[in-house]
Amino acid sequence: MLVVMLVRGERRAFLRGLALAVTVLAMGVALLGLSGWFITAAAAAGMAGIGILFNVFAPSAMVRLLALGRTAARYGERLLTHDATLRALSHLRIRLLQGLLTRPYRTLERLRANTFLNRVTADIDALDGALLRLVLPALAGGAVIVTASVALWLLVYPSIALILGTGFLLLPTMVFLLGQRIARRPARQAEAAMQASRSRLIDLIAGRDDLTVYGQLQAAEDHARNAHLRHSTARARLDRIERLTQAALDLTGAGLTAAALAVGAMLVQAGEISAARAAIGVFAALALGEAVAPVRRALSEIGRMTQAARRILPSLAVAAPGGTREDMPGTPSLALRDLDYRPGGSGRRVFAPLSLTVAPGEIVALTGPSGCGKSTVLLLAAGALEPSGGTVDIGGAAVGAWSREVLGARIALVPQRNALIAGSIAENLRLAAPGAAPRDLWQALEAVQLAETIRARGGLDSRLGFRGAGLSGGEARRLVLARAILKRPAVLLLDEPTEGLDEATAQAVMAGLRRALPEAVILLAAHRRVEIAAADRSMALDRTES
Amino acid sequence: MPSSATLTDSTRSLDETRGVLLSLGAALVWPLQAAIIAWVIGGLLTDPGRIAPVPAALGFLALAVLRSGIDMAAQRALADAAEARIAGLRAAILDGEARAATASGLGGAGALAALAGEKLEALRPYLLRYRPARLRAMVVPLVILVIALWNSWAVALVLLMAGPLIPVFMALVGWAAKTASERQMVEIGQLSDLLVDRLAALSDLRLIGAGGPLVDGFAETSESLRDRTMAVLKIAFLSSTVLELFAAIGVAMVAIWVGFTLLGELGWGSWGGTLSPAAGIYLLLLTPEFFQPLRDLAAAWHDRAAADAVLDEVDQWQREDRPARLGHGGGGGMDAGPVALRLTGLRHRGLDFPDIEIAPGARIAVTGPSGCGKTTLLRLIAGLDRPEAGRILLGGRPLDEDTATDWRRGIGWMPQAPHFLNRSLRHNIGFGDPVRPEVLRAAHLDGLLAGLPKGDLTLLGERGAGLSGGEARRVTLARAMQGAPQMILADEPTADLDAHTAAAIAEGLMAYAEAGGTLVIATHDGDLAARMDRVIRLDNTRGEAS
Repeated sequence: MLVVMLVRGERRAFLRGLALAVTVLAMGVALLGLSGWFITAAAAAGMAGIGILFNVFAPSAMVRLLALGRTAARYGERLLTHDATLRALSHLRIRLLQGLLTRPYRTLERLRANTFLNRVTADIDALDGALLRLVLPALAGGAVIVTASVALWLLVYPSIALILGTGFLLLPTMVFLLGQRIARRPARQAEAAMQASRSRLIDLIAGRDDLTVYGQLQAAEDHARNAHLRHSTARARLDRIERLTQAALDLTGAGLTAAALAVGAMLVQAGEISAARAAIGVFAALALGEAVAPVRRALSEIGRMTQAARRILPSLAVAAPGGTREDMPGTPSLALRDLDYRPGGSGRRVFAPLSLTVAPGEIVALTGPSGCGKSTVLLLAAGALEPSGGTVDIGGAAVGAWSREVLGARIALVPQRNALIAGSIAENLRLAAPGAAPRDLWQALEAVQLAETIRARGGLDSRLGFRGAGLSGGEARRLVLARAILKRPAVLLLDEPTEGLDEATAQAVMAGLRRALPEAVILLAAHRRVEIAAADRSMALDRTES
Repeated sequence: MPSSATLTDSTRSLDETRGVLLSLGAALVWPLQAAIIAWVIGGLLTDPGRIAPVPAALGFLALAVLRSGIDMAAQRALADAAEARIAGLRAAILDGEARAATASGLGGAGALAALAGEKLEALRPYLLRYRPARLRAMVVPLVILVIALWNSWAVALVLLMAGPLIPVFMALVGWAAKTASERQMVEIGQLSDLLVDRLAALSDLRLIGAGGPLVDGFAETSESLRDRTMAVLKIAFLSSTVLELFAAIGVAMVAIWVGFTLLGELGWGSWGGTLSPAAGIYLLLLTPEFFQPLRDLAAAWHDRAAADAVLDEVDQWQREDRPARLGHGGGGGMDAGPVALRLTGLRHRGLDFPDIEIAPGARIAVTGPSGCGKTTLLRLIAGLDRPEAGRILLGGRPLDEDTATDWRRGIGWMPQAPHFLNRSLRHNIGFGDPVRPEVLRAAHLDGLLAGLPKGDLTLLGERGAGLSGGEARRVTLARAMQGAPQMILADEPTADLDAHTAAAIAEGLMAYAEAGGTLVIATHDGDLAARMDRVIRLDNTRGEAS
């Protein structure tokens, strides 16, 4: 299924690659068979004293043509198939992210970055091999073995064709199926151990300080070392299976060559065929060994590929699309009616049913103790969560009725965590407004009292570390707010917007927000006096015990 | 940090040497197998009756079994040696990272995990293939050259001309491939880090409609990776094509010379002007094997280029001069008991700190604008950083290598941005010990735990996925109190909390202080600071106690 998808994306490149792969293998078999026949036939003619009558030019020209043609075809085949594979995989990564973007908010929240990083990098790398080392060699090898068998039937003798054809088709397939079965478990173990050691090393490095103070560093080190050991053990088992597979394949080739030799010699002795024709059979058997060699490589990777495909596939599907409406008015208002939320289908309400209307240009503060559901209300208003009861209306229609594009363009929620990425200040800001001019960026920074700081840091091109490292908490907070301003949303939902800012700055930032977005609906989850003071009115959220 | 010699030098283990020699032995079996084929086909031409087909075929097969057996033994020895080497490097990285006090300049946790994981795996093909291929390339062509010369000086001449040119091309192309492959390795590390970074922000960024630009940015990176990979492959494939071309021309020339000589058309090139059919066929069978070791070496050459790039990176990691952590970061040790703390003349990272005395049971707030060194001061007290100047005295003994581990046993640590381990909530609080119920109550976590479907067995991840900012903070408070420490160092403990919860957390901390605990808090929160016995205000560059 995944293979079909991978192929479909780049069908033409893949088919061209396949055609060249078949050409390469077929030319290789033809080259050795022809050379063997040529020399043996030449020797026979020479001994018979009729060398002068032997047409040497056609075969020798063919030998040269095959030798050079094969080399050229091989280069082309490698380039085309690798390019097709990489294209398909690049496409796969992007589809994966796109698929994840349509996942419900809670699902996305739960994807822990460690596990998920493993999924994307390791799984996609593993799938790198699916086309190149599994599908393509299997198709090309099968095609060449069948073609060669037909040729041998016509040119040499049916029994030799049958032995080589069935032998080369069946025996390596059996080796593959059997090997794949016994390699499945160690492959899974090796993979799991690798992921565990990666995630444990990340824990050790990222949590180094905490672990040190709590005296847990050595325990964390042992924990990671454990995973390394498990990986070593599984790897050793896999290596052993690979060696056995290799031996089985080598012996298959040798056995079939020996059979072609013995049967050919007996047929010559019986006067059925000439020595030259027998030589074709032997040389073809030697050449066909190359067609089945990829089995070993495929085997060593099939375990990882299967697991990777199994994990990747569900994430690729794009979840149910949002609504279809596009015609949101320029200044919509936000209306919550009897809004109610019970997480996970449980009977427990987070807050008492809430009704609230916010008009364009109005700021409303939600208040209440931590955990009373302020953030949940914001997520519901943004359409990130489905209400258990009641409705969220924006611009006269339910929030779910608007298309994803409209929601993405017109509504912005700034959560408590400052979502910043490694890159320049400008890159971080432009995530919300890709085409924004530097002047706009500066304006937004002015509005949140950050322009001075950024100028001192070296301007819009100064770079932030991973997750925005390099900014203090308050600076990161203001940068995230500036980004929301750049978006120019019609509905702005803010979760504790001035956290980490001192009183004076917080006040100025709230005023700047209002000035920058005079028409916007602003709903905020507030816990500071300065936030409540900046709002036109506030609304206390009641915690319910029901 | 371990000395460079133990990591990246080229010491050979006994296993490796044995594997390399055995692999050569396996390759030398082929001339014997080829002799049987040549003898049978030659015999069929001259005197078919004298050939015994079945014994000859069995002889061929027996040699194949011998060859496979030797090869398996070789592979086994090589695999053991490779595993030992890779496991050693992995352990060294783990060890080094656990011992260092600061982050590596090589990149974030993701980059190092990639280095210890898939990048070190890139050494395996090199270790398995390069040395055996090099030895075979030195010996096997010579053996075949001698056999060829025995039969015909013309064939030997062809081989002699084609052979030595190959290493020249290989070196040229291999050198170019190394540069290209280095570029690619750098990019792989960056891609992993960028992925962790982007994915961590994915759910939050979607809320401000920035999902699309995020995917676009990632698509660009992925495309650029593909371009770079193709650039490497184009060169890599070109070099093997050059090799194949030489091999093809060599085989074609030998085939044609042998054919014409056997026909009787050429009277030169062989000793005495004649060549037996068996000898001709033997030469044809051996010629490809003259080139094969060179082709193997060329393939392994690219493994080596990739391995060199990885080893360079390991070297770079190793050469970094990173301060070692004070103490060993493990458990055990003795609680130092309540001691008075005296900080004198501390200076670190361009910041001067006032002299401070902290008696057991003291409650101290450290305040000041962002960047004034509040966090640094806490890190110095915890022994996470070594001060550049000045001393920290623990009741008369300096905080140093010997005392740090014991000292930290008595500390509870509340960082501003905790890294949660990819393990259960319970493990993140108690590190394996059962969580004390009174701690859960004091941190107001009991309600949260009751709401989680898996309770304290719920998995956490980076950034405490699934927990709100306030919840994450409460988890760090619980963790700090879990060990019943002498002193709690808290960095902005009330940030991210609403007034109600902030007050509750402050209550928890105060109750801890009432019970005799020492409290040092870096904070912006004026209310919290006012509840301490003493406020130390740090100035931007020059610390002044007030």
